[in-house]
Amino acid sequence: MTRRTDVLRLLSDGAVHSGESLAAALGVSRAAVWKQVQQLDAWGLEVEAVPGRGYRLAQRLDLLDEAALRSALPEAAVARLRTLTVADEIESTNEALLAAPALPPGRMDACLAEFQTRGRGRRGRSWVAPFASGLCLSLSWTFRETPPQFSALSLAVGVGVLRALRTLGVAGVGLKWPNDLLHELRKLGGILIELRAEAAGPAFAVIGLGLNVTLPEAARAQVAASGLAVASLDDFCAVTPSRTQLAAAVIGELERVLTEFEVRGFAPFADEWRAADALAARPAFVVQGESRVDGLARGIDEDGALLLEVAGCNRRFVSGEVSLRPVA
Amino acid sequence: MDIRKVKKLIELLEESGIAEIEISEGEESVRISRYPPGMAVAAPQFMAPAPQAVAAQAPAAAAASAAAPAAPAADAENVVTAPMVGTFYAAPAPGAKPFVQVGEEVKTGDVLCIIEAMKMMNQIESDKSGRVASVLARNGEPVEFGQPLFVIE
Repeated sequence: MTRRTDVLRLLSDGAVHSGESLAAALGVSRAAVWKQVQQLDAWGLEVEAVPGRGYRLAQRLDLLDEAALRSALPEAAVARLRTLTVADEIESTNEALLAAPALPPGRMDACLAEFQTRGRGRRGRSWVAPFASGLCLSLSWTFRETPPQFSALSLAVGVGVLRALRTLGVAGVGLKWPNDLLHELRKLGGILIELRAEAAGPAFAVIGLGLNVTLPEAARAQVAASGLAVASLDDFCAVTPSRTQLAAAVIGELERVLTEFEVRGFAPFADEWRAADALAARPAFVVQGESRVDGLARGIDEDGALLLEVAGCNRRFVSGEVSLRPVA
Repeated sequence: MDIRKVKKLIELLEESGIAEIEISEGEESVRISRYPPGMAVAAPQFMAPAPQAVAAQAPAAAAASAAAPAAPAADAENVVTAPMVGTFYAAPAPGAKPFVQVGEEVKTGDVLCIIEAMKMMNQIESDKSGRVASVLARNGEPVEFGQPLFVIE
């Protein structure tokens, strides 16, 4: 696509490449190569200029491989996929699928990007992920009819991502209500679902996943500065799965989860969610608007609502931000 | 049958003077009745207009202007209510421009707000066209099912 991407593909192995060899491989001048290399900065990439030898990426990059991704997808997922987009740079993968033409029931669109210029977390918080450092994946689905416990979709999706990680040998990941992915209480990933539903019609859902795979020091520091404890897969995986493997596993697993959820609702996923509950029986608090409620996290009810024990009674929450309360 | 359809039917029933409604769709059918069987249906229909009558009897000239602003809110047809429980957001992101503001024209299908529940951002679309007369919910605060959110004239 862009020359910037072409330069990057050549540099992604982390080895030193001379300006001449890059220029020759791309059929451009050395000055043009230099210009493209300067621009890699905008994607959050560190390029070292090695005097007299050439350029080298500070970190080897694991780029998405669309052909390998397509061939790694389960048949059922391939049958449902209307489009599969792998972009180098995109504003937001969720935004792209929200803007797509009406999706018929039974089909799905998937969109992945190496880099999002306007990646979104909940409530417009930006999602920090330098180029190719994480998985930015969105998947869309149209529900013919509203399934039972529809609001628990976000919890079922969390279970789906855990299943996908498990198939790749990644253990030790928990869930914080409703669906933050945690490793030892540090944030590994987040899921944002955007919905458009008619009062009595089909519901269109776009599910966005951001998962930290490798996190360069600079990005880690940036997130830490905001007061959030962060984790990435390479912190604790003996062998970190490739981003392409992760994408295939997540798309495959979410296809299964959505197919089952559409018919049976949240019930088949509830116990698995509870088993992964990172806050269970811990002191926690919920912030809703300007109010804060302190209590003891008591898991979820059958609709996926958070239960917080306050003065001996369980209170039920469907919205708000839950956090662990440090024990004094 | 879709639970939201049933909720919508209940709302329709509440907004109207109808006592009972029965809908069939293929093999499914649902009947929603406002009153236990045998109860007189005429009475509530009679009672509904009563509060309005009281307002109308209030001392004429002075009360007229004071009563006027309250009138649109009382008219259920103009009110957009929350279709679900959750947190109300007037804008797509903190600090961003609200989806709609008082005085703006909206069309059917325009997004009015987001209600978030379980980290699902539900775009709530307008089911009518008109001018936004008031925004009744506060940004970032929880709303209940059926709570009035907007008045659209």
